[in-house]
Amino acid sequence: MITENEINIARKCIELSLQKGADSARISLNKSVSDSITILNGQTDKISHAADRSMYFYIFSQGKYGTFSTNRIEDDDIESFVENAIKMVRLLGEDACRRLPEKERTASDAVTGTELGLYDENYREDGSQSRMERAQRLSAWDRHPASINKAYDIISEECEYTESYDDTFLIDSQGFEGRHTETCFSAFTEITISDSKGNKYSGFWWENTPFYDRLDIDGISGTALKRAVSQIDPKRRRGGKYRMVVDSGTASRLVSPIITALNASSIQQKMSFLDGSAGRKVFSEGFSLMDMARTPGKAGSRLYDTEGVATKDTAIIEKGVVKQYFVNTYMSHKMGIEPTVEDISRPCLVPYIKGEDLSNTEKEVSLKDILKLCGNGIYVTGFNGGNCNPVTGDFSYGVEGFAFSRGKITHPVREMLITGNIIELWNSLVAVGSDARECSRWQIPTLAFEGVSFSA
Amino acid sequence: MNTAQYYLDTFRTTMQDIKAVTQTALSKGGDFADLYFEYTTYFNLLLKDGVVSSGGFHTDYGVGIRVLKGEKTGYAYSENTRLDDMISAAKAASVIACCEAKSNRYSPVPDRRLDLYPMGRNWRDMSADSFLPFLKSLETKMFHRDNRIVKVIVRLSDSVSDVMMYNSLGELTFETRPMGSITVTAVFQHNGKTENNTASRSFRTGAELVSDEIADLLAEEVVRDMDARFEALRPEGGQMSVVMGAGASGILLHEAMGHAFEADFNRKGQSIFSGKMGKRVCPEGVNVVDDGTLLNNRGSGNYDDEGVPGQKTYMVTDGILTSYLHDRISASYYGVPSTGNGRRENFRYNPIPRMRATYMESGTADPEGIISSVSHGIYVDQFSNGQVKIGEGDFTFFVKSGYLIENGRLTAPIKDINVIGNGPQALSDIVAVGNDLKIDNGTWTCGKEQSVPVSCGMPTVLVKNLIIGGE
Repeated sequence: MITENEINIARKCIELSLQKGADSARISLNKSVSDSITILNGQTDKISHAADRSMYFYIFSQGKYGTFSTNRIEDDDIESFVENAIKMVRLLGEDACRRLPEKERTASDAVTGTELGLYDENYREDGSQSRMERAQRLSAWDRHPASINKAYDIISEECEYTESYDDTFLIDSQGFEGRHTETCFSAFTEITISDSKGNKYSGFWWENTPFYDRLDIDGISGTALKRAVSQIDPKRRRGGKYRMVVDSGTASRLVSPIITALNASSIQQKMSFLDGSAGRKVFSEGFSLMDMARTPGKAGSRLYDTEGVATKDTAIIEKGVVKQYFVNTYMSHKMGIEPTVEDISRPCLVPYIKGEDLSNTEKEVSLKDILKLCGNGIYVTGFNGGNCNPVTGDFSYGVEGFAFSRGKITHPVREMLITGNIIELWNSLVAVGSDARECSRWQIPTLAFEGVSFSA
Repeated sequence: MNTAQYYLDTFRTTMQDIKAVTQTALSKGGDFADLYFEYTTYFNLLLKDGVVSSGGFHTDYGVGIRVLKGEKTGYAYSENTRLDDMISAAKAASVIACCEAKSNRYSPVPDRRLDLYPMGRNWRDMSADSFLPFLKSLETKMFHRDNRIVKVIVRLSDSVSDVMMYNSLGELTFETRPMGSITVTAVFQHNGKTENNTASRSFRTGAELVSDEIADLLAEEVVRDMDARFEALRPEGGQMSVVMGAGASGILLHEAMGHAFEADFNRKGQSIFSGKMGKRVCPEGVNVVDDGTLLNNRGSGNYDDEGVPGQKTYMVTDGILTSYLHDRISASYYGVPSTGNGRRENFRYNPIPRMRATYMESGTADPEGIISSVSHGIYVDQFSNGQVKIGEGDFTFFVKSGYLIENGRLTAPIKDINVIGNGPQALSDIVAVGNDLKIDNGTWTCGKEQSVPVSCGMPTVLVKNLIIGGE
């Protein structure tokens, strides 16, 4: 954990910055510890311990701005580090829009770092024995069921168990101080198999949580194996327009271009397909995207952004209407628009089924429901390469997954691509599930679209 | 070149302390231990909207300590080099030796001093204001070249790393590694349409990189072919022949095939090339190389990050798989010398087999002749956003720009499509290799677990039967 002494160093560095000629300054002190154990084919393969500490300086001087960092924060030469930083800032071009955020926009409720309940008191930096036991439990190398009819051989099983904590202290020269502390316990397995013809397939699965007791380790390796086995003997499917169901484990890929396009920096640089979209209905009525930044105990939650600006739970897109851009202080002054927050914290989608009113119900919408609703199509479980043009929204992605018919998965598909335009895609929305993975910061559930162009 | 004492002073340590830390690292029975000291300074400037309104410098300092027992790894690091902190990290890394494992023999490597990146002007001696006219002049050159440009972003970044490595075989190596990178992006608007393009150059060299010549080269590259880009459409998709243009297409070789040559994937049986040593993987005449010895190249190293001298490695010789890319662990496992591919992002990471500059050597075909031999297909000169599945070998790449080939001629410009295929299948489907190998010196960074600088290259190559995603 960040010590009182380290906090005092950060405070002194703010004072030092002002003394040396900064008009204002912000400092982020970051400290983290991570321990991980890798098990390869049932045997311990790697043990690693990482402990990091660094200090980032954001210096504003004479209308000019620069960022600096060092991991030698207790060195005698920290004073000359700050002096050199300010000298360099003064050599840069003037840009009056570079300022700290207005003080009233900064958070005042992030005092201990544990307010959001993301720090588990059970975390032990010295818990090497318990970590080893968990890592070994994660591996199912000797316990995987035998392959029926020798349909496959397991080539390798690689498991990684990690415990970590991150502690951040943010301070600026206007008197803002904020702290965010979280722990993370994670488990990951990747399995490679080969079928009777020697073709290889791999599958992975993972879980993570801020809480030691809530990590469900058992079953991760089994799921990874099932995912690998399910890909055996893929078939080529003819290209054409299909209904597409996208698995909750991978659906964020279709949301991230929208988040990027809503960033004021992209808009100001004319690199956004959502330029001019504020307040307009751009997407299907079924598309509602929330930023649930302040949900206690959930991955991604935070009380302030990287500038110290207080977050809030808010609608970003509501029934297809763009409600908010992500506007930091710099972009706010540069574009003459109201500031919001620098970026999304914890995106969440609202469940939706085309033609049904779910607004007053608690109805769960599962993958099974959505496959049944769609009948026939392609169920995408992973993206493989591709891109979305930030200016036009035109995309092309490689996909992997399964064909489904009458709501049931029939066979894996191979070497398929989807192409289209991201705005048009989100206007062909059929369903949004309620099955986002608990462990993800991005709460994106199963999605379904109609009329998607597949090439093969 | 700096002396050993310069590095010992930089890291505020002595040989006596280093040896004591190494002994501690081996105290639980490890076969091999090494220490990787690093002090890196980074510097960057950003020009946007006509003003260099952002910049900064960053320092990173520490030592990574690794212990090997058989092929098993214990790793820890310290962000300072006080003896007690290094001892503490060495103890943490030493724990790996408590695990049950057979012992491996790690052998010394003959030293071969290279000097692949002499610095004319040391970046650390430069002041920010000496670069400001360059950034501004590059922006001006851009606006003068194309009146459709509405935005220009120029980034200049450099780093200088002092690195010292010591291992339990008694090998002490050290060097200073510079890197300079310039990236320029322009946004164009024309008839209501917006397009953007980026060009970059990155070399292990000193501040002499910043010159009028490189500004002209980058400005020219960004505006080149923009007429075609505005007219470009998505072609009809399907299976067809693909001609890969010389140079940047090498990234496809890196992603789709190169990773499968890395020995860690093969040692674990995960690679599509596992167990195929000595077998034919390409048509005759094809040579695939990973080279760490190109002068000033972004992927080059006088030493890799395990203290092994830089080398040039043929993975495929005349179509036959002849070598994997080895670090010390896999070299010991396979009983071969390391190929000098043990690389890491920084002292926080243990080294693993990584590519350097990966390319296919020139063949004999005339590039024009290759294009004219295709009745229906596409020509691609810029790929991006590639991804590969190591076990299956399946890859997908996004085509940033290219042309349709119809009856042996380049016709309509194309963009925003994907090429999908299988690495080994694509290698065996190579029909022609041009005589025009070109190394691409852009800011390529490989992201396998850790980020390391690489480069790539290709001659013009024709592959039959890849799938193109289109309308």
